[in-house]
Amino acid sequence: MNVWLQCWSGYIRLTQRWPGLAAIIPFIPVVALWTVVTEAGVFPRAFLPGPLDVVRSFVTLTYKGILPDYLQDSLIRLLAGAALGMALGIPLGILIGTSRWAHRICWPVLLFFQAIGDIAWLPILLIWFGFGLTTMTFVIVYTVLFPVVLNTVLGVESVPRDLARAARSLGASPARVLWEVTLPGALPNIITGLRNGLGYGWRALIAVEIIVGTSGIGFLMFDARRAGSTTEIVLGMIILGLLWYIVDAWILAPLERATGQRWGLVTS
Amino acid sequence: MKTLSLRNLAKTYFDPYAGSHVTAVHDVSLDVQQGEFVSVVGPSGCGKTTILNMIAGFIPYSGGEILLDGKPVIGPGPERGVVFQSFALFPWKTVLDNVGFGPKMRGVPKAERDKIAREYLALAGLSHAANRYPNELSGGMQQRVGVVRALANNPAVLLMDEPFASVDAQTRMTLQEELTRIWQERRPTVVFITHDVAEAVFLANRVVVLSKGRILDQVDVNLRRPRVWDDLVNDDEFKRLSASVLQMVRAA
Repeated sequence: MNVWLQCWSGYIRLTQRWPGLAAIIPFIPVVALWTVVTEAGVFPRAFLPGPLDVVRSFVTLTYKGILPDYLQDSLIRLLAGAALGMALGIPLGILIGTSRWAHRICWPVLLFFQAIGDIAWLPILLIWFGFGLTTMTFVIVYTVLFPVVLNTVLGVESVPRDLARAARSLGASPARVLWEVTLPGALPNIITGLRNGLGYGWRALIAVEIIVGTSGIGFLMFDARRAGSTTEIVLGMIILGLLWYIVDAWILAPLERATGQRWGLVTS
Repeated sequence: MKTLSLRNLAKTYFDPYAGSHVTAVHDVSLDVQQGEFVSVVGPSGCGKTTILNMIAGFIPYSGGEILLDGKPVIGPGPERGVVFQSFALFPWKTVLDNVGFGPKMRGVPKAERDKIAREYLALAGLSHAANRYPNELSGGMQQRVGVVRALANNPAVLLMDEPFASVDAQTRMTLQEELTRIWQERRPTVVFITHDVAEAVFLANRVVVLSKGRILDQVDVNLRRPRVWDDLVNDDEFKRLSASVLQMVRAA
């Protein structure tokens, strides 16, 4: 018993000193189990490659330049779509959040289109725009748009009425209130919306690349299926998870905390 | 010289749930002199906050008129500073930037509005908190910021809506004493809304008793200043005034 407590205490102190380790250590048993299963030959190698095979494939694809190129393509698509989704979603959310009429008119329509999932648009998009960048961008923008709009509306509506009143009676014009009160007040929610939107968008992008793609991580995986290379498929899956972890845990989550908690808008 | 004038002010609104009109304020007329401190006291639902919101321009009025220095009041404006029960500080701005917000809206350059803000923070004994965020301060300190933020804009009238109702009893007494001190130094025109009779009498030159949307009576308070609770708790005049106002409020 004492040994376990010692180990636990050691783990806590270790991760406190190097917080990065807390993200890596939980994966050690997963990789170990994976190694054991493959080494024991439970499944044929062609069905389930081992960790070393995947690492080797990573090195080869990186060396050939395929992986960096595809990764770059995927990320640029995601970022362009997310930027466009935000450029449309934030103003729309503010409009709906501040105007009762806009809320009444837009809200039901918004919920209706939210229900038609991103992928459900693909059949008709392929007819309209063909297998190309327009189709991909449409899907990403569509996916990012809804979480951003809905969270922005929530954020705008959660700004206490007295704050806008205070600003007005200190001499702020309605436009200044929007800039000085509504936007900063809604910012933590907007970032939450962005975080969700990017998460959905990342998944949608891979799905679209599998169907539409000519490059990208999704295309890499689907192309590997054609060649029967399970190693590259598994590599693609690992990259998806890893990349999202980095973006979410190292960029988005700290951003969310930095706004909300600093101002005492979010308690935790 | 009168600054603020309410003439037959009325507020009627439609209650969609009851399907009928409700009158919150009937025919209220009141003059406030420049540099006067007027408390408006009454039980909840008597229309006191409605009146304040109309003077502030937050809600439209349905009858009569409100004049400030002879000009009718339409919508909110910087000549009517407001102190809220909820403090209403901007959580994403430092204390200094909160107090400098009014001057910023007037286009005062950064260096100058910081100077103004620091001067007003010093008035409330808050110089040490200039660079902190509101959520790092106690309720009492937050409301001190709320008061000086409104004052820093140099309003013609300061409207205070139960500003000390959400702080603890001891802090409230301190804030009340500080407010009378600041009033004596700066002589702003104040309309102070409260349901606390002792508070109304302690602070004001004149107490207006409101009931069911009408002015029931007005009482002049000529207690000497500076006013501190240690003196006034045993002061016969204070006790007599409080008792008579309390009687009116309870009968209302």
